[in-house]
This record gives sequence, structure tokens and C-alpha cells, in this order.
Amino acid sequence: MVNKVLGLTAADQASLLRIAILGLISLVAIGSRLYSVIRFESVIHEFDPWFNYRTTRYLVNNGFDKFWNWFDETAWYPLGRVVGGTLYPGIMVTSATIYNALHLINIPVDIRNVCVFLAPAFSALTAIATYHLGKEVKNATAGLLAAAFIGVAPGYISRSVAGSYDNEGIAIFLLVFTFFLWLRSVRLGSALYGALTAISYFYMVSAWGGYVFIINLIPLHVFALLAMGRFSNRLYVAYSTFYVIGTLASMQIPFVGFQPTFTSEHMAALGTFGLIQLVAFASFARTLVPENHFRILLRGAVVSLFVVGLGGLVLLTMSGVIAPWTGRFYSLWDTGYAKIHIPIIASVSEHQPTAWPNFFFDLNMLIWLLPAGIYFSFRELNDNHVFLILYSIFAAYFASVMVRLILTLTPIVCVLAGVAMAHVFETYLNFRDVPSATQTKAKAVPAVVASTDEAQRPTDSASGDILVEDADSASGHKKDGKRGKGAKKNAAKAVESTSDTSADGAAPSSAQPSTPASKELSPAHKRFYAIFPKFVVMTCFMFLLCMFQWHCSWITSTAYSSPSVVLSSRAPDGSHLIIDDFREAYYWLRKNTKPEAKVLSWWDYGYQLAGMADRTTLVDNNTWNNTHIATVGKIMASDEDTAYELARRHDVDYVLVVFGAMLGYSGDDINKFLWMVRIAQGVYPDDIKEEEFYNRQGQYAISDDASPAMKNSLMHKLSYYRFADVMGGQGFDRVRKQKLPTSVTLDNFEEAYTTENWMVRIYKVKDLDNFGRSHHAASKF
Amino acid sequence: MRFWANAAVAGLAFSGAWLGVVEAKSVSGDRVLVLVPKVEAAKLYSQFLDSLTSRGFDVSVRAATNTSVALQVDGIRTYDHAVVLSPESKRLGANLSVRDFASFVDDGGNLIITASSDISELGRKLAARFGVEYEKRGTAVIDHVAHLRAINDTSDHTLVAAIPSRAATPVLSKQFARTQSSPVYFKGIAHKYEPSNPMLIPVLTGSRTTYSAAIGSDANEGASASISLSGKDAGLVSLFQTRNNARVAFSGSAALFSDALLSHEGGANKQFTTDVSQWVFQEKAVLRETAHRHYLASTGERPEHYRISNEIVYEIDLSVYHDDAWHPYNANDVQFEAIMLDPYIRTTLNSSDSVNPKTTATYHGDIKLPDRYGTFTFRVNYKRTGYSNVDVKDTVGIWPLRHDEYPRFLSAAYPYYIGSLVMALGFLALCAVWMWSAEPKTKRTAKQKSN
Repeated sequence: MVNKVLGLTAADQASLLRIAILGLISLVAIGSRLYSVIRFESVIHEFDPWFNYRTTRYLVNNGFDKFWNWFDETAWYPLGRVVGGTLYPGIMVTSATIYNALHLINIPVDIRNVCVFLAPAFSALTAIATYHLGKEVKNATAGLLAAAFIGVAPGYISRSVAGSYDNEGIAIFLLVFTFFLWLRSVRLGSALYGALTAISYFYMVSAWGGYVFIINLIPLHVFALLAMGRFSNRLYVAYSTFYVIGTLASMQIPFVGFQPTFTSEHMAALGTFGLIQLVAFASFARTLVPENHFRILLRGAVVSLFVVGLGGLVLLTMSGVIAPWTGRFYSLWDTGYAKIHIPIIASVSEHQPTAWPNFFFDLNMLIWLLPAGIYFSFRELNDNHVFLILYSIFAAYFASVMVRLILTLTPIVCVLAGVAMAHVFETYLNFRDVPSATQTKAKAVPAVVASTDEAQRPTDSASGDILVEDADSASGHKKDGKRGKGAKKNAAKAVESTSDTSADGAAPSSAQPSTPASKELSPAHKRFYAIFPKFVVMTCFMFLLCMFQWHCSWITSTAYSSPSVVLSSRAPDGSHLIIDDFREAYYWLRKNTKPEAKVLSWWDYGYQLAGMADRTTLVDNNTWNNTHIATVGKIMASDEDTAYELARRHDVDYVLVVFGAMLGYSGDDINKFLWMVRIAQGVYPDDIKEEEFYNRQGQYAISDDASPAMKNSLMHKLSYYRFADVMGGQGFDRVRKQKLPTSVTLDNFEEAYTTENWMVRIYKVKDLDNFGRSHHAASKF
Repeated sequence: MRFWANAAVAGLAFSGAWLGVVEAKSVSGDRVLVLVPKVEAAKLYSQFLDSLTSRGFDVSVRAATNTSVALQVDGIRTYDHAVVLSPESKRLGANLSVRDFASFVDDGGNLIITASSDISELGRKLAARFGVEYEKRGTAVIDHVAHLRAINDTSDHTLVAAIPSRAATPVLSKQFARTQSSPVYFKGIAHKYEPSNPMLIPVLTGSRTTYSAAIGSDANEGASASISLSGKDAGLVSLFQTRNNARVAFSGSAALFSDALLSHEGGANKQFTTDVSQWVFQEKAVLRETAHRHYLASTGERPEHYRISNEIVYEIDLSVYHDDAWHPYNANDVQFEAIMLDPYIRTTLNSSDSVNPKTTATYHGDIKLPDRYGTFTFRVNYKRTGYSNVDVKDTVGIWPLRHDEYPRFLSAAYPYYIGSLVMALGFLALCAVWMWSAEPKTKRTAKQKSN
């Protein structure tokens, strides 16, 4: 090798650069996730992370054995929760391992900080895994671009900022890594990689319920390959190894247990496993039977087996042997399903269908690079690309059904955008086709491209297709550049033209005009016309990439870095205000109530109460028992006496409500109240009726013209009790934009604490009257 | 139990201050406040007050007009019991309100409140708070059949001779349980009561011929037009026990406690007032739980939490106070409940050998916990008419089995064990056959080619 720099060959330089770039991408990925810590503090965010944090602390303090068998008496009182058997322990075990490892080398880090910074750390790993995935499906360029994209894509950052200590934080890394290993094992037909895929899958199962996506997508990939007649021994080895080890391993997680053997979600994998055995047998049989006979035999067998298998599945599901699809899955097919049948799922905002601006908000320009990426995958269809196409189609569908599933879409969008972008780069940053002084014939261009491409990636198994296509689009763009120099600013057009010309790139009409034109030009002009379009296109794309980075940082800092337990706002004079009512209330509970006190609140606050106030809760964000939640909803929606009786029955000591009318905080309980009513109505249709909570005009009113049921409901009373006093005569609800109710009385509950901005109000449930009267009667004396 | 703690504190303070004085016989202290219209009026009730003193109470007689009288000072009770014998007074002590009396009772103080036909508004309101509704002012209880018969037949029909209710056994002594017990003389006002109220014991009510009416010009004739209450509905003396086991007596007649009626021959007023005051002042029918335990039957130890279907033992020791001492409380209806929203177990406890047979009775139950995990409340909720409430609650976690506590091998699964074993062995055998039966390659390929 001639071009040695610092004693390194060109290949070594490239890998050194790659490592450096990946390192920088990791740094950016981690860095952009730290806004929340800088803006606020190192605190656990939102709701679910508080549970994860609490369990992690338990794990660190009590060891794995106790954690595994932990029955939490303070949650879901009095039912309790088998924590060890109803959670995905992956994230807790990961944090505890890191914590113990750090302590082993005498770094006395607090477990909270491990938890806070876990997701950013894993986002760096995700970037690296995405690099490998991109490299697996195309080349290192695509890999690096994909890594750079996923490092900052808001769709992923939304779930992995510092403090967002949730399963998704590590699960996305595992998702990408599992897919990478799977593609590699399919490509190599390696049992070792198949086993590694299974192990990675096991880690994923232990970390997130979204593992179901993997166990359906991989069989789907296999099935698609089989249907396309792409069966190979590589596929057989990879899938058989993966399925057997992966399934057995996944059954070791108590929460999953025997589900892989009897739930519909896992049946596709089992069926595909059976199918591939048959196909393997068939292909063995193929060696013994004449070819043309065999094809007919195979097709018939596949179709009939599919029909029989599906029929058997339906039959078993109907007879109850196989558990039918859970409600959450139905809501993936029919977006209206949840609202009617399972209001508890529909009540969560992140389970709503996605609005289209969300895609742009979370993915920016990547969303329109996705079709280009899919197109390129089709152009060069191999086993891996089939997978990419399937993944992108399914993930795109799911993401449009449920907002939170944009998360699973993000990796594939990044990979495919990386692929598309790599094509653009390879085409427009390739200066070897610029005619030198001796070159006159445009026909030489494809040949040069081919040779340089070959030289650039000697290991890549690039087929002839892509080279031709490269050349086509290159020549097509030459024409474009010549024709419209002014058309450079519009970003969307640039890619449209890319794909347009690629689509009809083979058509002679687009390539022809350049040939006669070039004949009459001097070499200098030729060089100019060869370089200028590249320059324009690259400028546009660089601009877009910068915009993308800027957009991501901006989104991250404004939209996704709020811990939600601490709010911030701006005072009229522009100064920064921190609203810390939640923690104030939880801290009050922690310090002023007896340790065994039971606090009733809507389930949203259950995990935070358990984590911050350390008190027993009735319901929490693990919404496993609909009846219990409906009971809480009923307590909130009933009149005071019914509510009191129910609260006494559940040994409730305090009731906590979140109230935003003072500040204009719209996520308060009155706004969630209709969901409470709906959920309660689902279980107690005789006692709670949604229509009773609208006033005569059919409006959801809270002021004096509210319906009687609304005015008598506990939630209404607890929210507005004495609120008019503090607001004066001209009281106004800043969230509902309505007047305040004038008289709110309260007999069975007494106000215990109200936070600074009235955001959290805590009431004590009165003890039974000593003289055996109702509190209403007692208050009259 | 709260009253017991109070009693202990009061007892301690008392024994410190009054060394050598007769020991208190009430379990909740012995400071009695007696409010009379005027201090001299105490003479009218000397027998009753003397009986209190002789039972060891420190009786302070105060005029109702004495404004220095307070039931509580800075939230601390200054008396343990109070007797109000001045039904007509519009003001009591330092302008005591209904609220003051209620908070006195909430703090464990016991009350005897008397009334008369000329009942004050305060007395009426106070009674109303306990669900006792006095008749209108100016009415009286009249009985033309059962009344105190004077020798000269000028008897007063408002001086009713009533027979105490036999149902109130823990309150009244045995002599009232007899069918032919002597009557209690009563002169005063009747009250309405809610018979279904479990906290109220109508210990003395009217007979079939008793009614309440406005006192007419000729009381002995009565005024049938204005009868508002009659028969058993006309409550004469009612007892009330609050949730915190404080006890309150409402007597429609202050005269019932007077020397005149106490000393009357053939009447049982003396015994009746003694019984009522003993009950109210926590000298009898005071039930308490001295200890309770639950533990694993196998080890005899109480773990931090139980596991489902554990065999456990639950024991509770009960004592009852009467005749100046704690005695074992014997009953056959002490029930244990294991509750998680609903009672999963409700079983009667059997009496068993007591640790301290002279003062406590032990109730024992061998209990198999439900096959259901959750936070359970072990509860003995013993409420019987006349006795203090015993409500013992323990919140106990029942955990599911540990991961290694499940049975390792199930007999029902043996076919599957055998199946997998055979499968494994078959695979090994196949491998062995495959490996050792391989023919030299050249031969096989030759064979195939020939095919």
C-alpha cells in the first residue's frame, strides 16, 4: 500500500475513522439526552420509571432472591402485587449489575444516578447496534448514517432522556441488536449467531413486553422467505436455533411463563417453526424426486398446511385451548375497539392513534427518506432486505395506530434512511466519474463507477443492479443540474427527483440529452457540469442534515426533557418558575402520615406515590386489575356517602386529587374524570352512567350549571372544595374556562393538605363518627 | 385499647397523688363531677352520692352555675365521669356546650345526664346528639295502672313504676332478670329512641299502659288527646356506648336518683341506680383483649408474612371487669375473620387453656389460610350489647409461594417427563447410529451414481 498515514493502511484508516465517528455519535447521543438533568435535576421522570426505580432499589438492597419472590403488599391494596412475577426484570437487573460492578471497583455511585443515566448510556449502544445493522444490510456508510440518525431521532429520545428510566430505554437497543444478529445469522447460516440471537432475544424478553414484536416479525420474515421460494439451509439453521433456544429461554421469565405455548401472540412463531421443518424435509425430499413434480408438490403442501394450521389455530382459539388475542392487540387492528371495550387502554394518551404531524415531529426528514430506503431495498432484494421491508411496513402500520409505537418504527426508519442517504452519498460524492482531460465519451461513466464501487467495498456483495442504478441516477442528475439550477432550495424536490429519476432511470430519454451536449463542450466545462450538480445536491442534503440535527436538538430540549414530576413555566417577566407541587405533596405524605396509611388516587399517580411518598396505594400504573381501578373510579364518581362507605371498606386513609384550575394545568383529574366514569361504568353500569355527568346542554360543565351527578361526585367536591374562597368572588377555572361552583360542601372527608399552587390536594377520610351518626348529620350540630 | 390506656395513666397519676386513699374501682379513673342546681340540692341525692364515694370515687359536687367548672382543660379531661342532676339549668358550668360534652365523651369520659319535664334546651340538644329525642317540654310519663301507689290513694300517676328491660343483662344485676322483679320508680319525661341503633340500650322503657302526654290540669286523669309516645316506644332510661367505649346514660328523670325514691320500699331504684352508674363508670361489663397472637402451627413462630394455605393458630385473650377485678370472659361466640374486602374465613374460636386462668380466658382457632394471596386483615370484632367493644385488627400479608416452594415433580406430568426422556435418548441413539454406521464415502457415492 502506498497511501500510508501514520503507518496505517487505507483500510486501517477507514476503520479508525469509523470508530472515531461512532464514538462521536455515541457522545452526541448521550449528550443530547442530558437536557433534562441540566434544566432540572437528576431525577426520575414521569410515572412508570418510578416503579422501575423503586424495584431497582429493592433489588439492590435485598438481593436477587428476595426480588424474584417479592410480593408487594403496599400496591393494589388489599390485593397486593406479585412484583417478581409481573414485571420484566431486565432493566432492574441491568442497573443493579452496573451498580454492583461500580461498587466493586470502589466507585460509590448512587443507585438513582445509575437509573437516571441508564437510558442515555444505552442509547449509545443502540447507535452502535444500528451501525452494525446498517452495515449488515448495506455497508459501513449506511451504518454510520443510521447510527447518527438513531442517536438523535426524537422518536427514540422521547423514551430515553436522562431520568426516563423505562423498559424502552434498554429495549430499543436490544430490539436493534437482536435484529442485527438475526440478519447476520440468516446471512451466514450460523448456528452460533442463531444462538446469540436467541440470547439477545432472551434479554429483550426480560426487558420489555415489546418482545412480541420480535417473535412475530422474525417468523414473518421466515414465512415470507419461504413463500418467496427463498428457503435455504442457512435460514433453516438460523430459525431453528433461534426459535428453540429463544422460546425456552423466554419461558424462564416468570411474567412470560408458559405463554409461548398457548397464547395467540406466540402461535405464529410456533407455526413457522413447524412449517420450516416441513419445508426442510421437503427440500430434502427434493433430492429424491424430479424437480418439476416437486414444485407442484411443495406449493400444494405449503398452501394446504397453511390452511390446516390456520384452521386448527382458529379452532383451538375458539375452544379456549389457545388464549385469544389480548385486548391490547385487538386495539392494534381496530382503533375504535379500545374505546368501546377497554376504556382503560383508550384512556392513556400514548395509546391514541397517531396524528400525522407526530411523524414529522419525531422523525423529521427521515420519514420521507423511508420510502426511498424501501425502494432501494426492493431494487436489491436479498434475504435481509425482505426483512427490512417487512419491518418497515409493519412498524409503520403500528406506529400510525398507536402513538407510542413510533418508538419501534424509529430504528427501521433510521436504518432505511441511512441506506437511502448512503446511496445519495455514494452517487454524489463519487468524483471518479468526473471526466479527466482525456476522457471524452460519456459512455465510460458507468464503467468507472463500477470499478470505483468495486474498489470502495471489496467485501460487499454488491450485485450488478446497484451499479447500473448508481450510474443511471448519476447521469439523470447531471441533466437535472443543468436544467434547473434554481431548483436547489426545495428539499423535498431534491429527493423526489432522486427517486423519480431512479424510478425511470433506465429509460433512455432521460440519459440521452446529456450525450450530445457533452460532445460540444470543452473539458473544463465538462468538469464543471459533472461537479456542479453534485455540489448542489450535496449542499441541499448537508443543509437538510444540519436542519435535522437542529430540529432534533430543539425537540429534545423543548418537548422531551420535562420530568413531568417537576413542571416549569415562565413568569410574565420571563423568569423561570419551577412548579414542584407533586413532590411537595408526596413529601408531605411521607413525613406526616403513618407509614401504613393507604392513599387513594387515580391510577396515574400510583407509582409516584409508592416511589416518592412511600405509602400504600390502591391502584397504580400497572393496570392489571380493571375491577379495582373501576372501584376507584366509582369512589371518585359517586356521591359522598357511597364514596365514604367504599373508601372505608378499602381502608383508605387519604384521598389525593390533582387539580389544575389554579395554574391552568390541563392534565388534572377533572379532565381525566370522564375516563374514570367510563371505566367505572364498564364494571358498575347500574351505579355510574356517563350521560349523567353532562349537563342539560350536553356539556361537560363544572360550574353551577353542572349536572347533579357531577356536582355531587366526590371528585368534583374534592377538587373545588373551598377553591372559590381563595379565588375570590370572580373565581374562574383556568383549565375549563368556566365559572367556579359557588357552594361545595364536604362532610365525610376533611382537607389535610393543599400544595402551594393548589395542584395536589390531599384529604383525610374521617373516622367513623364516635356516636354512630352519619358525618352529614354530625356536621349539622 | 384507648380507655385502658387512659385508665392506666389516670390510675398512675392518681395513686401518686392520693396515696393511701381507697383504690379506684372504675377502670377509667375515679374523678366524678356532679352538677346539681345548687350545692345544697346535693342533699336530695345523698344516698346515690354516698354510694359513689363508698365505691371509691372522688366525687366533686358543683353547682351548675359555678362557672369554673370545665370538663376539659387544654384538651385534657379534668374529670373521668360526670353526672348532671340539674336538668332545668340553662347553663352548665363554664357555659358548657353540647360540643364540650361530645368532646369529653370522645376523650373517653362517661356521662349520666338526667332530665325532667322541665328539661332545658341544652339537655335536649345534648341527648339528640346521641339519638335520644326527648318529648316536648311540659310533658310527662303517665301510667294509670303501674305507678307508685300511696297508702291514702292520692297517688301521683306520673310517678311511674317501670320494670327494667330483661335484655340488658350485662348492665343490670341478676335480680332484674327475674320475671317478678321489683319496679323502678320514675318521674319525668319520656324520650324517643331508635330501637335498631346498636349503640343504644333502652334499659328502662314504659310498660303497655305507659304513655307520654302534656301534664294536664289533672294529671291523674291524663289527656288522651295529646299522647305522643306510649308503651315500649316511650324510653325512660337509655344507655349509650360510643365507638370508643365511653358510656352515657340518659335518664328522663332526675328524681330516679333521689333519696326519696331510692329509699322507697318495694322499689328497686337503689339497685337500679347502682347498676346503671357502675356500668356507666366502667365498673362492670368492661371487656378487653389483653393479648392476641397468631403464628404458624408448624413452627410456633410468627413470620413476617404468611404464605398461601399456611396452617396457623390464632389466639386471643379476653377479660371482663366486674366486682373490682378482671375475670376471664367466657363465651362461645367469639369469631375470627380473615378479610380481604370480603371475609375469606369466618370461624368461631374455641376456648382453650389460658395462660392466666384467673383473669383471662383464651380463645383459640386452628386456621388454614385461604389459597389466595393479598393483604388480609385478621379481625376479632366482638360487639355485644352492654359490653365494651373489642375490635382487634392485624394487617397481615399472605404471600404466594416462593419460586422453589412449588412441587418439583407432578405425578400428572410423568408421561411428559418420560416422553422427553425417550426423545432425548432416541436422539442420542440416532446420533450414535449415524456416526458409527457411516459407510466409507467412496462406496456410497458410487452407489448413488449407479442409481
